[in-house]
Amino acid sequence: MILNRLALLCCLLSLAACDRPPESYAPPEQRHPVEGYNPGPDAMMVEMNQPDANLHIVKDIYGPSDPSWRWTSQNPTVQLLVLSTENLKFNADFAIWDEGFKTTGPVEIAYLVNGRPLDKIRYTTPGVKHFEKPVPPDWLSVDADTTLGMSIDKVSIAPKDGVKLGLILVRLGFKE
Amino acid sequence: MIRVIPVLFGALLTVAAAWSLGMLLFRRLSLVFHYWEERLLAFVAGSACLSAIMFVLSATRVVHRGILLVVALAIIGYAAYTGALRSSGKPFPPLPPFWLWLFIAAFGAFTYVGFFNALAPEHSPDGMSYHLGEVLKYQRAHGFLRITTDIYSNLSQGIELLYLLAFNFGRHSAASLVHFTFLVVLVFLILSYGKRIGRPEVGVGAAIFTYASPIVLLDASIAYIDVALATVLFALFYLLQIWDENRDPKMLIPIGLLAGFGFEVKYTAFLAVPYAVGFVAWKVLRARKPVLRPVLTVSLIAVSCIVPWMVKDWIEVANPVSPLANRLFPNPYVHISFEDSWRASLSSYTLPSRSQIPLQVTVQGDRVEGFLGPLFLLAPLALAALRFRAGRQLLLAAAIFGSTYFSNIGTRFLIPIVPFVSLALALAIVDIPWVLSLLVIAHAISCWPGVYTLYCSKDAFRIEKVPVKAALRLEKEDAYLSQDPEYNVVRMVGSIVPPTEPIFAISLGGQSYLPRDLRIGYQSASNEVLQDILWTPVVRSFQPTRFLKFDFAPRELRKLRILQTASLPENQWSISELRVFNGPTELPRDAAWRLTARPNPWEVQLAFDNSPVTRWRSWQPAAPGMYVEVDFGRLQTASAVVVESSEDSGDTKVKLEGMGADGSWVTLSDHPVESRQPIRASLRLAATAELKARGIHYLVIKPENPGADDFRRYPAYWGLTVAGSVGDVRLFHIK
Repeated sequence: MILNRLALLCCLLSLAACDRPPESYAPPEQRHPVEGYNPGPDAMMVEMNQPDANLHIVKDIYGPSDPSWRWTSQNPTVQLLVLSTENLKFNADFAIWDEGFKTTGPVEIAYLVNGRPLDKIRYTTPGVKHFEKPVPPDWLSVDADTTLGMSIDKVSIAPKDGVKLGLILVRLGFKE
Repeated sequence: MIRVIPVLFGALLTVAAAWSLGMLLFRRLSLVFHYWEERLLAFVAGSACLSAIMFVLSATRVVHRGILLVVALAIIGYAAYTGALRSSGKPFPPLPPFWLWLFIAAFGAFTYVGFFNALAPEHSPDGMSYHLGEVLKYQRAHGFLRITTDIYSNLSQGIELLYLLAFNFGRHSAASLVHFTFLVVLVFLILSYGKRIGRPEVGVGAAIFTYASPIVLLDASIAYIDVALATVLFALFYLLQIWDENRDPKMLIPIGLLAGFGFEVKYTAFLAVPYAVGFVAWKVLRARKPVLRPVLTVSLIAVSCIVPWMVKDWIEVANPVSPLANRLFPNPYVHISFEDSWRASLSSYTLPSRSQIPLQVTVQGDRVEGFLGPLFLLAPLALAALRFRAGRQLLLAAAIFGSTYFSNIGTRFLIPIVPFVSLALALAIVDIPWVLSLLVIAHAISCWPGVYTLYCSKDAFRIEKVPVKAALRLEKEDAYLSQDPEYNVVRMVGSIVPPTEPIFAISLGGQSYLPRDLRIGYQSASNEVLQDILWTPVVRSFQPTRFLKFDFAPRELRKLRILQTASLPENQWSISELRVFNGPTELPRDAAWRLTARPNPWEVQLAFDNSPVTRWRSWQPAAPGMYVEVDFGRLQTASAVVVESSEDSGDTKVKLEGMGADGSWVTLSDHPVESRQPIRASLRLAATAELKARGIHYLVIKPENPGADDFRRYPAYWGLTVAGSVGDVRLFHIK
């Protein structure tokens, strides 16, 4: 009992230092939010080595085969939200597998934005490739996800398991 | 195996100190008991005393291991030195051999399960998050510290203070062992009670009914508090029964102590005080004796136990019963909407119908966090015990302590009445030959972990195994705990985030393994504001797209206020920005202005900070009379006001009032022009900038959190970098 009373006394003493929060305030420090800010040149790029790249993949991109790239099937497609619609370029880094190229020969790849064809290129050699092309602003919206796709006319078949192999994809997205 | 020694030491020291204090108290009061019941009741009464001592040590911030050791050893030593530990009570007659062996067999088997689970590293959801999470905070601070960002810190913590003593020496498992000790004491108290009423077989039956019950054994083997509460309430009942027999006025002291300790253990046990006071008053009145003195004795002692906790909350969070009753005690630390939704969630547990409760709490256990065992489907038979005096007493206590159950329908919240129902049930059927013994055996079998998996839901909260190796630390603690995903997350977070950095998470457990300032979204008003800020970029209806413009003839005003006139039970009212114009020019927000709001004046600045991701919210349903007010501090010419709001405010109706030089309020406009405006700012960056401005640089996002995908897909948009990950859980650093 004595202890309880002591505790009560301690609490009451500390009450002397207690301060109730005020109920009216001066205006706070004003924020200055940045309009249309672009957080970086790679912000709208889906890197295949990102741990959360799966969240962008719509179809035809397999799980990671290597820390930096993934196999695709015939119509690799990703989706992402653009921060602005102006001055954006479709951007893709990939490779055409030389072993597969022996069976497919030259391949034609169509580049699609929201299903609309942006370009179509015929590749006559295997190896590392880069594609970049401006996207018309009226094809894009900042309010909804944009899909970016590649459509390959011919794919090779993996000899072991019969899986369709299109490209070796490193990154796909937009750049300013 | 040597690592288990501090665990056992911490638990034993706590239990021995509690028991010694109780024996000292009983000796001082010269109370007369039977041999075993004295020892058992002494532990419970002593726990209340020890908790009070820990309260004082915590309030004075002297919780250091050395001081705790000296205090505990001094108590134990003094009790031994004065001979207080020697019981003078007479033993009860021995149990009949059949019942003795039945008890030994069942007790031994379930002790094996319970003890090794208690000794194993603690990883229960609430135990490793808040029960021991608070204990860890107090240990690091060497006592209480003012915590306004965690509602669990505001609950009464009578048992957690015992855990604090044990934790200082043996960490988490020592606390769990203290809790398990309460169950062992409860079981023997039930046994003793059976002997006391001359029905030892009833005592054995009820003891096993209680002990083997899956949720009881599970709860006692982790650092929860429900079984400790059940023990305190049963001990209170027991003391009242003894007092009713001997009417020793000194018995009222431990009765008051335990009645108050019930509240200290858990708010829901506040009924212990009116129960004890009412019981004493009724008995005294019936005997035509003076009632004031005994009633005052019990009341004052109980209140003296309760008041320190209320004062602590009053000082720290301006609400003596925080986190409840926030309408009665409005404060900046807990939103009313949180309390409303918390209550609603605890009273439903997502069960579509209350008719599912009986099967859920006895057999299935997946929706209500555990099950009592199928035996308790027979609980209504306990009403047959009403024909006995003891039965009526037991059922009265069960009815009173069970009356708060529907405020939280989790099975754990039935634990405090399990001893009473068990005894009443055993009493009801004891005279039917063999039925009680058969039920005891059937219950024991049906409650064995390997058996109940055959009938309970696969997601039921239950003991799944007996981790002997982990308990004896033959398996590394870290390896055992890493089976728990929450543990892995907090371990990752702890290894990356510097000790002084606070962390924000929308949800995360395991705080007791994370010596950091972890702020969880729902756990305080300020955390809910952080959460609201983070969700604004990803939840369109939170965004300030709805503009209400009030135009009026230019006039000089001292004050302006936007007044809510609609009643919308389903919607809160919010204002993202309130802007005042004179002609086309917005008045700059002057330092002389004074801003206020009703309700929730403490967050009114959020409507005047020019940030698109912060807003003042009512944090309760919109109602007429709510307002946000600007006092210009002088006469100011104005001609328009724009209220930037969001769609989630629903069909709120507002009007603009102004106060001129004459000091009276007049309506300036009640027909604002409504429009929709696009968001031009980068809300994601604004949101993380707000967190940063509040000192938060680390953010934990779990995949099930609302908006989680957006954080993971667009960390760069948010100005975040991934600092660590476990599975799909991400620790982000705000750049």
